[in-house]
This record gives sequence, C-alpha cells and structure tokens, in this order.
Amino acid sequence: MSDRTELFGAALSRRGFVKTGGALLATFAFTTAEGQQKPGIADSLNPALPESWIEIHADNTILIRTGRSDFGQGTIFTAYRQIVAEELSAPFEAITTVVSGDTDRTPDGGGTFDLLGGGTPNIRKAAAYVHQALLSLASQRFGVPKDQLTAQDGIVSGGGKSVSYGDLVKNQKLSLTIPVKGDVASMFGLTIDGNPPLKPVSQYTVIGKSFPNSVTVSKVTAKETWVTDVRLPGMLHARMVHPRTLGSKLISAGTPDKTRFPNAQVVVKGNLVGVVAPTEWEAIQAAEQVAAGTKWSDWKGLPGHERLFHFLKEDADWKTAHVATSKTSKGDTAATIVSSPKKLSASYQLPFFKHAPIGPTMAVADVRPDGLVYLYTHTQNPQALRSGIAHMLTTSVDKVVVRTFAGPGHYGRSNGGNAGAEDEAVILSQAVGKPVRVQWMRPDDFQWSTQSSAALAEVQLGLDANGGLSAFEINHYMPAMQDDRLVGAILAGLPTIPAPNEKGSMFGVENSLHDAWVYDVPPALLERAYGTTQIGQSSSPLNVGLRDHSLRTPGQYQQNFPRELAVTEAAVLAGADPLEFRIQHTRDKRLIGVLESVREASGWKTPFPEKLTDNGVSRGRGVSVMLRSGSYWACVAHIAVNRSTGTIKVEKITMSVDPGIVVNPAQLKRQVEGGALMGVSMTLLEELRFDESGINATDWKSYPILTMADAPEVNVVLINNPEVGRYGQGSEAANALAAPAIAGALLDATGKVARRLPLKPEYVQAVLKA
Amino acid sequence: MTTVTVNGVKREIQAPGNTPLLYVLRNDLELTGPQFGCGMAQCGACSVLLNGNEVRSCIMTLSSAAGKEVTTLEGLPARWAKQKGLSEAEAAQTLHPVQEAWIAEQTPLCGFCQNGMMIKATELLERVSSPSVAQIKEAFTSGVSPHLCRCGSYTAIIQAVQRAGTAMAKRSDA
Repeated sequence: MSDRTELFGAALSRRGFVKTGGALLATFAFTTAEGQQKPGIADSLNPALPESWIEIHADNTILIRTGRSDFGQGTIFTAYRQIVAEELSAPFEAITTVVSGDTDRTPDGGGTFDLLGGGTPNIRKAAAYVHQALLSLASQRFGVPKDQLTAQDGIVSGGGKSVSYGDLVKNQKLSLTIPVKGDVASMFGLTIDGNPPLKPVSQYTVIGKSFPNSVTVSKVTAKETWVTDVRLPGMLHARMVHPRTLGSKLISAGTPDKTRFPNAQVVVKGNLVGVVAPTEWEAIQAAEQVAAGTKWSDWKGLPGHERLFHFLKEDADWKTAHVATSKTSKGDTAATIVSSPKKLSASYQLPFFKHAPIGPTMAVADVRPDGLVYLYTHTQNPQALRSGIAHMLTTSVDKVVVRTFAGPGHYGRSNGGNAGAEDEAVILSQAVGKPVRVQWMRPDDFQWSTQSSAALAEVQLGLDANGGLSAFEINHYMPAMQDDRLVGAILAGLPTIPAPNEKGSMFGVENSLHDAWVYDVPPALLERAYGTTQIGQSSSPLNVGLRDHSLRTPGQYQQNFPRELAVTEAAVLAGADPLEFRIQHTRDKRLIGVLESVREASGWKTPFPEKLTDNGVSRGRGVSVMLRSGSYWACVAHIAVNRSTGTIKVEKITMSVDPGIVVNPAQLKRQVEGGALMGVSMTLLEELRFDESGINATDWKSYPILTMADAPEVNVVLINNPEVGRYGQGSEAANALAAPAIAGALLDATGKVARRLPLKPEYVQAVLKA
Repeated sequence: MTTVTVNGVKREIQAPGNTPLLYVLRNDLELTGPQFGCGMAQCGACSVLLNGNEVRSCIMTLSSAAGKEVTTLEGLPARWAKQKGLSEAEAAQTLHPVQEAWIAEQTPLCGFCQNGMMIKATELLERVSSPSVAQIKEAFTSGVSPHLCRCGSYTAIIQAVQRAGTAMAKRSDA
C-alpha cells in the first residue's frame, strides 16, 4: 500500500511492519481552525499507551475504547458493541474488550448522557472510518476497487478473493488518524469531526438483536470490581464530619479518644473535617466521636419545605436571569384566552427530589509525592471530574488520572463530574500522604449531595367552540439546576468553578425550554422559562445552600409534568377522551403511533368501564407523552384510589416508545421497566424535606422510595421504526412519564386534580375533600 | 479471635468483636458480594445468609456471628452444589440457579442492590419452591426492611425469582 491514504478526512498510514501480531489503531488528530491536522495532545500520562478508539487485532479480535463510562444501563457493553460491530460488518462477539471511562486509557471524554450521540456517537464514526480503512487495505491487496468489495462477519471479499480483518492487519503497524474537535477535559469531550459513509440501515444484521450485557455475569457472580472494592496498598479509610447546617462554619473540631482509637487522625482544612484510620471500623467510630465534639456556627437561610412554593412564587428573584421563550411560541395568548369560551388557569408544583443511589458516594484517591493524582470512582463524566480536581489543586489536567468503576446508579448526579466524595478523598490523601478511601455514610449522602431542582409552573389555556386548544401559555420557574462545584473544595476553601450565576458557570442560573411542544401549535402558544439562583446559596456563609443537579430528565421532568397534566385537564374541560384529544391535536405520525400503540396495549376504553367500585375505591387511567432525544413516548397509568384515605395504588403502567431504530430490544425493555418504576416512586413518595438550616432526610425512612410491594405491573411496547434512519435514545424519559399519567388517572377516577407532587395520601385526601 | 464458617470454610478473624460483619467480610476476608448501602438495615444491599436466614451484615456484629455459618454471594454456587451433592468438578462448573436466572433475565441495571436480592431469593426458594408473585413481594418487603432497588428492577427480579424457582424445582425432581 502507499504510505498514506486519505479517507473522508481521516488518514491511514503504515508506520512499519512487525514480525508477530500487528494491529490497526485508530488514533486522533485535532482539526485546527485552518483545517490542517496536528498531532493529538498527550492525554495519557504514559505515552506508551495507545490513544485509540478501536483496535483490529491479527487474531480477529477487536478492542473498543470510549471515554463515556457505563452508568448501570449497560449501553456501553451492549449497544456500543452492536453499533461498532455493525459499522465494521464484524461479529458482535469479535469485540472482546471494552475500555471505558478511564481518562488515561480512552480517547474522547464526554459524559454518560446523549450516549447514542443523536444517532452518530463518536464510536460509530470511528468504526465507520476503520471500516473504510479495512476496505482500502483489501482493495490494495486484491487490486480490486473499493466499491466492488463486500464485507460480512469480519471478512472482506471481492474479485473472487476473501480475507479476514485480522489477516489484513497482520504483521503491520497501521495507524488511522481521525479528525476531532473539542476539549477532552470539558464536560462534552471530543467529537469526531468528519463524515465517513455509514452502513445503510437496510443492511443491519447486528443492531436490533437482544445481546446480553457482558457485565451482568460478573456482577451476579461477585467478580465485578466495583468502585467499593478498590483497595490500594497502604490505603487509609476515611469518614467525613460534614457541617451541621448548609451554612455552618467550623468553630472547633472534636478529637478522638486516643486510647479507644489510637490510629485515628483528624484532618481539618477550612470547614472540611475528615477522620482517617487504617481500618474502616475505627474510622467510623472515631468519626462519630469527632462529630459529637465538633462545634459549628448556626445558620438559618432556607425557606423550609413548608414554605417552598410560597418562596418560589413570592420571594425568589426571577428577574436577573434572562427569560427564555420557546421558538414555537406565537400569537397573543392572553387575548385569545379572554375570547375563548372555555378556559383554565392553574399552577403546578414539583418538590426537590434526591438521586438517592442505594450506595452512598465513595471514592479512593492517591495523591503521590510527585503531585500525580489517581482517583478511583464511579462517575458520569470522568474528564470533567479530572478538570475539576486539577482546578481545585491548581495543577494541570495532565497530573490527574480518573479511573472509573461500576457503582450504585445515581442517575445524573455526577453529570458534570463528581458525585460527592472524590474531591474530599483527594484533599485527605494529599494531607496524610497516603491513599485514602472516603465513604459517605447514608446521612451524608442525603444531606450533602445535590438534588433535582424544585419547580413551579403557571398554566393558562383556552378552548375554542369545538373543544380544540385555542391558546396555551406555560411559564416555568426553576432555580439553577446544575451546580458542578466540588463540595469538598468549597468546604476546604479551595478553588472551584463559580457557583451557577447570571454570568454562567458550566450552566448558569438561566432556565431554558427543556420539554419541546409536541402537539400541533395552537393559534396562540407561549412557553417561557424563568431561572434564579439556588435556594440559600447566596446567604450561606459557605456559599452552599440547596445545590441542584440533573436527575435523569433534567428540567424536562419539571416541565413535562405541568404541560401534560394541563393537556389532560384541557381534554376533560372539552369533554373529550384525554388520549383521543392528544391524537386530535397532532399530525405527527410518530406521536400518533405511540398513542395508538399505548391505547391498544393498555386496554384503554372509553368510557372507562370499572371506574367506581365498592369499599370506597375509585379507578381511573391517565395518559402522558414526551419527545426526548428523538424518541417518542406515550404512557398509560391505571390506578386505584381509596377515596377516604387518599392512598393511590398504581396497578399498571403501559409504555410505548418509538426510538427510531431499536438497537437492543431486551436491554431497552429492562431500562424502560426500571425507569417506569422510578417514575412511580417519585410520583407517589418522593420529596426532599428541609428546614431553615438544611436537609432533614437522613435515611430511607425519611426519604422513602418505592418497594416491590407497591410495584405495579409494567408493560413495555417497543416500536422499531427503521425508516427514521437513526437510533433515538433517552430511555431515562421513562421515569418522567408516570407522574402526569398518574395525576391524570386520579382526575379520571375522582374528578379532582392534584397538581403538586408527590401524590401522598394526606395531600390527595385534602384534594378530594376540597 | 472469632471463628466463623464462611462459605463452608472456618475462618479465624482478628477484628474486634463489635465490628459489623459487613466490614469483616469485605475488608478482612475480601468477599465483596455484600455491599454497604445504609449501615442501618434499611436497604438489604449487605445481605448474607446466616445459618440459612437472610440477615443484614451491616448491623450484625462479628461476635454474634461467632460459630455460625455465613453464606455470601460468592458462596451460592458451592451451597447449591452441596445441596445437590454435586462432585467437585461439577461444582466448579456451576452457578446457583438464582444466579443463572438473574443472568438469563438480565435482571441488574446498576446491580448494586442485587447481592441482597439474590440472597433473599435464595432464602425464599429454599423454603417455598414455586412462589407466587404475592409471596415474592411479601418476602422482599417484610422482615427487617424492604429490599430496595433505586433502578426499579423489581419487575425483572420477580421474573428471575420465578425462573430460578422453576429451575430448582425441576432439578429437585431429577
């Protein structure tokens, strides 16, 4: 072959020959503003490590690397392998190794969101480039033009000859250089810049099949190395003594009893207090004693849970942040509503929710004498965490390595990097000169982690003489929803990125329209989003307050609940069936498709045949829809409500989803089932209670979540829609659909509307009596 | 020094007697199946079998486990092999039917709680061969506390328990 071959913006070159083995390594180079390529930056502390996305080995095995970490849904180990195998025309099983999420072992960074990258994640493009390279190699070997070659199951054929991918790379050192753009250590990482030809969907053989998650076996047999299992030589165990309130400053730290805890050591840095000891049990007991003897200043700067919505409505400042108005907005809603024969005005309220992972956050840090930092954790965004740690230590990102491991699912809390304990582990390790494992206890996790922001929405709508929507106005109010500051750094007085403010930070205080209008635009539509600072942040001497962070469907959850419940209310006002009302208000075939699918699958009938039963129980069903990341969702909830106690039992959840191309039906089904139940949990049970000083939740009794006893039957319908030509994503949407569907079902069952989450018995009882 | 039989092997343990069993298992014996979830017996992530009963190792002291038999997730295959009288060679090749069912049903999402779920399932299926959905729900939500899953894998757990129950009943007939 020639030394260098241009391939759709990438460059294939042979670096030399080797006697045994051989590989094609896909590395990267930056595209500069002038469009010229320069060598990639050294992202690895060990320059001997190949910065590759994909390796084709002489033995026909394939290795893939992604900076994204698996977040418990297995997408990295199922869908990613399928996507690569498909683009390469190689067997799924040939991909024997998946390296993910380690900052020194993966090329691109980025977070575990938008995993399918709008249909073309980096890994798909990388695979498509590698495929082109393999075809080029075969073309030169056979003397046959590329367009006369076919590839299947890892073998290229043409001109009467065939060769395996392994044989194509055997005894050679080949390098494929792919153009990329972006900043690897940013939250969004690098993006492959270039458009290699992609395999036509009609030729798919791997995508669409239910391959099992390769990590399941190791998790089920206790062979997985969880982050909780990381042990380093000489490592000390630590427990934190967090401030008494979200605004308390340290007056004096307690001391451990040296006779009982001879090896325990207290580390104090600013308002950060930690206790380290050689054994975990000594660290726990000593920390309890230190906590009891530690004095903190008092602080009362929060409105308290009971006054939350009053505070959001009357006291919060919504004027400093830019008010976002949706592009779909049009017409004069106020005038149209005034002249509409039927109208509705209502407000909707969502509490703070916790991410509430089953295991509290923990991390192991090893700050070495030469200043290198190794951090072992479960994070959604290893490169962003790396960047935050480097910032905290005022060092370069090259000095920080983040390695990721399986951990308890926390659904977005470390979207910008940290889940809570990482920076504290680094600070303590630096202080004691040894590796330190920081494990938060259950109360730490409820009280010192971020939460999903509370929100308020005001809706006004009008119906025309035919019962159609004439106008819809919705104003969303939500405090800043993503604070990526490292909390340990804040407490220790070390540098962090700014708190969300009007000037920005990673995400500012501005709110935006997170839930796209899915119906046909009515004659008048106004959708606005108001933002403000996090509650208590500015008055907290620590600049902490109630820190917020994205949870699964960040912002969209807060906006979809009021929108969808209001649409159901509009249908009832029109005397229409809420599901049929939605179909009548759209010409979008995919939206109609999921609605018709969920109608059939849920056994939705009008009128509802079994609404009233004896012994004070009423039944009802409700519907909701969402468009997220190119996927269409519809949900029907069937509930039974006890009219005297207000207790809601969700009997059945039915979900239909059209994501375009379904990559892995069995895995998607499990993801949707799980999301549906988390959604039921949030709807019925979850709200973060807080007083004027801090968070009151300390355990699973003060922040209860759904148990198996109350888990409804869940039916999932997957609509494979290959004509869409892309794989939609956003299985997390499943968690958002339950709330408006269940509230709609309550309206159906009782004629009463409950517009505040959660739908706890005492609240529902009050709504039914009103 | 405390003696506990763990996964069929007698272990002499140096840790103080008031150490919760969970830390002994994870840190002294390097058995990492049980996980730290709450330290208050409220979630079930740390469950092990103690003389065949599901207990929360996060609140059980080492002393109170002295002289008893502890089975962790790691010990489920050997427990099954012993119950079925499998040869050593067969035992090395086998998983507990509960683990096999968890894999076949692709039950875990993040999987952090599944240790306790599988331990609970094993306890249940050793007593009730083909439990109904109601019996499964009762088992997983009664006792010291419900077994909690944040990812909402309850549907998959119920299906896996039923699959494992069927498999265990079949092999008992054989």
